[in-house]
Amino acid sequence: MNCKKVLIVDDEKGFTSMLKLNLESIGAFEVKVVNESKYALMTAKQFLPDVILLDIIMPEKEGPDVAIEIRNDPTLKNIPIVFLTATITRDEVQSQNGWIGGNIFVAKPSSLKELLASIESSIAVK
Amino acid sequence: MSKKIKKDYSRPLDVIVVEDNQVDARILESMLLDPPTIAKTLKIANTLSSAIKILEENEIEIAILDLNLPDSKGIDTIVEISKKFPKLTIVINTGAYEDELGLEALSLGAQDFLLKGKYNAYVLNKILRYCLERKRLEIELKQAYETLKDTQSQLIESEKMKVVGGLASGVAHEVKNPLATILYGVTYLIEQVKMDDDKYNLVLNNIKEATNRANGIITDLLDFASLNKMNRTKSNIVDVIEKSLSLVHYQISKNVIDIVKDYEVDLPLLMIDVNRIEQVFVNIFLNAIFSMEKNGKIGIRIHSSFIFDNKQALPSAAKDKFNPEQKLIIVEIDDVGKGIPENEISRIFDPFYTSRRGSGGVGLGLSVSKNIIENHGGSIVVENKADCGVIAKLIFIV
Repeated sequence: MNCKKVLIVDDEKGFTSMLKLNLESIGAFEVKVVNESKYALMTAKQFLPDVILLDIIMPEKEGPDVAIEIRNDPTLKNIPIVFLTATITRDEVQSQNGWIGGNIFVAKPSSLKELLASIESSIAVK
Repeated sequence: MSKKIKKDYSRPLDVIVVEDNQVDARILESMLLDPPTIAKTLKIANTLSSAIKILEENEIEIAILDLNLPDSKGIDTIVEISKKFPKLTIVINTGAYEDELGLEALSLGAQDFLLKGKYNAYVLNKILRYCLERKRLEIELKQAYETLKDTQSQLIESEKMKVVGGLASGVAHEVKNPLATILYGVTYLIEQVKMDDDKYNLVLNNIKEATNRANGIITDLLDFASLNKMNRTKSNIVDVIEKSLSLVHYQISKNVIDIVKDYEVDLPLLMIDVNRIEQVFVNIFLNAIFSMEKNGKIGIRIHSSFIFDNKQALPSAAKDKFNPEQKLIIVEIDDVGKGIPENEISRIFDPFYTSRRGSGGVGLGLSVSKNIIENHGGSIVVENKADCGVIAKLIFIV
């Protein structure tokens, strides 16, 4: 099975390193982390991930702005984005089956199982 | 007891004379009863205790009161009477006028101060009627003041909630990030580090459980912050209740709880936020389940009503809240648990009140539930039942 490439864009270094460890331990993912959102576009262009896990509230450049840049880039525009955020609750996400405004959302903290399900469904939709 | 005073200045009055001097009492009696009659009811008492008894048993609107009685002297007489009968109009009738005493009597609830021998029937009649009108205005003013005070506390409460809400969403975001880090860290350790010693697994699972609990508390706080974000659709309340029951199915089966349903058929649809209302019912069901031993019972009754055709069905606290033209759906959920201590029942909707502090209760469930129901324009009342257990009455406007 080919490893899926996951790009995590989140300013919480502790969180991204824990998530990277978990995803890599499964053996199905190749993970790259960007903690400064201003480098997200550049890294995405080099890494060409299968899915981008994107935090919403970040210093300098917020998640939605990063998402717009990615959507406007011809080489990246079809890469699914999963928004990872602490601003909404799991109930709010689950009440809409994870989809809010055409994007997949995962509330922080969610179990690894829930996050994997969201990654899989985003890749499947792609 | 006093009764509602009408602005009819010639109508005969219901009067009590509290006077231990028989001559003074006789003078007043003749002024009040001789034509043109001032009083249609006249009771005479010569002690404070007999006056109180008469006032408790009769519809009296005005008392002509001597302050010095065999069982009560001076200002204490008026304090006692006005405390017991706040709506009664009181006119002091005394043999010696003292400015200080007169003013004090007025400040304690009397409407005027008569000096024995210095008035006639005509003057007495006028004074009594002016006093009644002043008392009526005083009561109206007091009511207006109470309403103003209530409105002010509601405003303060709503401002407080805004502050709590703003704080909650800020704190939630800051705390959820580290919680997510802890959760994924522990998940990794549980999966990857295979220890033979069960103590390690116990420690890791405890950390994971505590993290999830902390997240639950933050989530409840966020509920405060996001209560204004309602997503209302036309929904059947029975479906919502059934879905809520299915969400607590595990606890119901585990505790062998008998669910007794009594649903009116063809209930009208309600404009509600289904997720929020489900949250309310889940909360009430869980409170009921945790208040009972095994083999308990939860009764669920749903019926519709107009306030005027079935006033009895409405909780007393909710009776004044609704327009009589509105059709209501009333949901009553009762259990056979241990009930709520009477001294705590007024606090159950306060944020962070819980009877399950030691077993995971945070104390936001009922306060969030109340806010949700009130944001829907409804009402929730929780009472102890006469025999045992608690009944929650939820009223929705159709």
